[in-house]
Amino acid sequence: MALSFKPIRPLLQTGTNSWSRWFSYIGLGIGVLLLLCSVQMYINIQRLLKEGNIRKDGYDFVSITKTVTNATMGRPEQNLFTQTDIEEIKTQPFLEDVAPLLANQFRVKLSAGEVLPFSTDLFLESLDDAFIDTVPPSFTWQPGQMNLPIILSSDFFEIYNVFAPGQDLPQVSKETASGIPVVITCEGNGQQQSFSGRIVAFSDRVNSVLVPINFLDWANKTFGTPKQLEAARLFIKTKDANAPDLIQFLDQKNYKVNRDKTILGRNKILIQSIFSGLGIFGLLVVILALMLFSFYLQLVIARSKDNLRLLLMLGYSPGWLSTNVSRRFIPVYIMIVIVALGLTQLMHWAFHHYAMYDRPELSSFVHWSVVVIAVALIGLSLFTNYRLVKNLLYKLH
Amino acid sequence: MQLSIRQLLPTYFDKKVTETSEIWGKDLVFNKGDLIKIVAPSGSGKSSLINFLYGLRTDYNGNILYDDKDLGKFSLEILSKYRKDHISIVFQDLRLFEDQTVRENLEIKRQLNPYHPPEKITEMTGRLGIGSKLESRCGTCSYGEQQRIAIVRSLLQPFDILLLDEPFSHLDNKNSEKAMELMLEEARLRNATIIFADLERIDYFPFTRLYHL
Repeated sequence: MALSFKPIRPLLQTGTNSWSRWFSYIGLGIGVLLLLCSVQMYINIQRLLKEGNIRKDGYDFVSITKTVTNATMGRPEQNLFTQTDIEEIKTQPFLEDVAPLLANQFRVKLSAGEVLPFSTDLFLESLDDAFIDTVPPSFTWQPGQMNLPIILSSDFFEIYNVFAPGQDLPQVSKETASGIPVVITCEGNGQQQSFSGRIVAFSDRVNSVLVPINFLDWANKTFGTPKQLEAARLFIKTKDANAPDLIQFLDQKNYKVNRDKTILGRNKILIQSIFSGLGIFGLLVVILALMLFSFYLQLVIARSKDNLRLLLMLGYSPGWLSTNVSRRFIPVYIMIVIVALGLTQLMHWAFHHYAMYDRPELSSFVHWSVVVIAVALIGLSLFTNYRLVKNLLYKLH
Repeated sequence: MQLSIRQLLPTYFDKKVTETSEIWGKDLVFNKGDLIKIVAPSGSGKSSLINFLYGLRTDYNGNILYDDKDLGKFSLEILSKYRKDHISIVFQDLRLFEDQTVRENLEIKRQLNPYHPPEKITEMTGRLGIGSKLESRCGTCSYGEQQRIAIVRSLLQPFDILLLDEPFSHLDNKNSEKAMELMLEEARLRNATIIFADLERIDYFPFTRLYHL
């Protein structure tokens, strides 16, 4: 038959004046609530600012330029990325890869031929295929080929549709635009050649008019003046475009990111620091509450020391007594943590529903790690109580 | 279980006592079933000896060995196991839970390692004339009654050694004899050693060895 704690319980004088116990319970509740809420909000921010970017295979692709200031205006060598810059960027641990956006070094004109009375000077750029979000198999070019595949920025296309009515030009759908052959004319070095361009894809990521790399290489050599290849824009591939160390690096180098998401990233750093601070504060409150509770336990043991000493003399094991004394508080500890967890769930649900309008990036339920922390806190409280009681009992003997 | 003491002497005793004492400073072995009577006048260290043997105090030189294991090196956890399974005691100052009833006091000990069923409590207390006190608060019982409660409590567990420290100081001869009879019965049942320390010889304890402290 298992040894029963029931006849032992009355020997522990818990006392009627147990304000320290209740203060510690309330303190523990508040501390746990703060801690759990902070962790949940930290995770929320992480998720909200990670999703919704133009990602591919779990990576962010953003373009960076050098900030053109009054001092560097008109000095392209200071506003372009040199090979040294690129090499330096490549060595950064938070960047997976870097590719320059190379531009044409000759004159390019685009006209819509006979279909639309539309003609404009144009620029062409090329980028490593791995950095482009939409690369159809037709996006290739062989020397001598007169058809030129183009990937056009969705934003540019939108802009065309905005100004087209004012210019008496027809607005077109993406499907129609893909079907319209345009004439791309390259001029330079006393030569001129026209190609039949066709939009093969639209890119949400790259704000440019992209042609295959080998075409631009050939065209730059053929029509342009040979010079050091320098890029005005770089595309970077990173796990998280909002990562604080990336943003710090870009700030330090005075590079500008052509996406709004790093503004979110800046906010993310701030908000996450606030919640980290709150979390640490919560942890401190938890520790304080546990200390307060330990005073209460010491008081109980001091009041019952004669009885406990006699129990030890009679042969009750200090381990068994410690386990059972600390076990008495399991229900109340579990209750406190469950209430705090429930309130965290309520807060998170309200945040998701009322502040975030049920955005799909977030779940309405608290993250599993919050539950793990809650369970760990129960364990921690019980373990500290057990150790404390055991040490006090050993001192009694 | 075998109990040996080797050169045992309280740290606060003069070495000279070893010249006259049959216990202090000697090497002794007590075997299973031995009935040891220790006659000890006041101040000769009787309670010290019992406390040393029960592991309550360690301010002594020399060694106390239970089956060749040094009592002085036992952890509190091991010590509690010995007190639960092997060594029982009747304290001179009784040491009962005054706010609990007689039955609760006895049950606290019995449940620790039940050698007897709960009914045995009623039977034993009945034999010692305190059966009617079972539901009374211990603090309200007379010293003589408390002494009998402490005796019954010591008999509810298994033991190899029963330590008695002036167990009859507040009992008349008739009641003492009844209590002795019960203790001897229980010791025989377990083939246990009794170490009985008292101020003087008592006729109804059939000791096998007698020592003067």
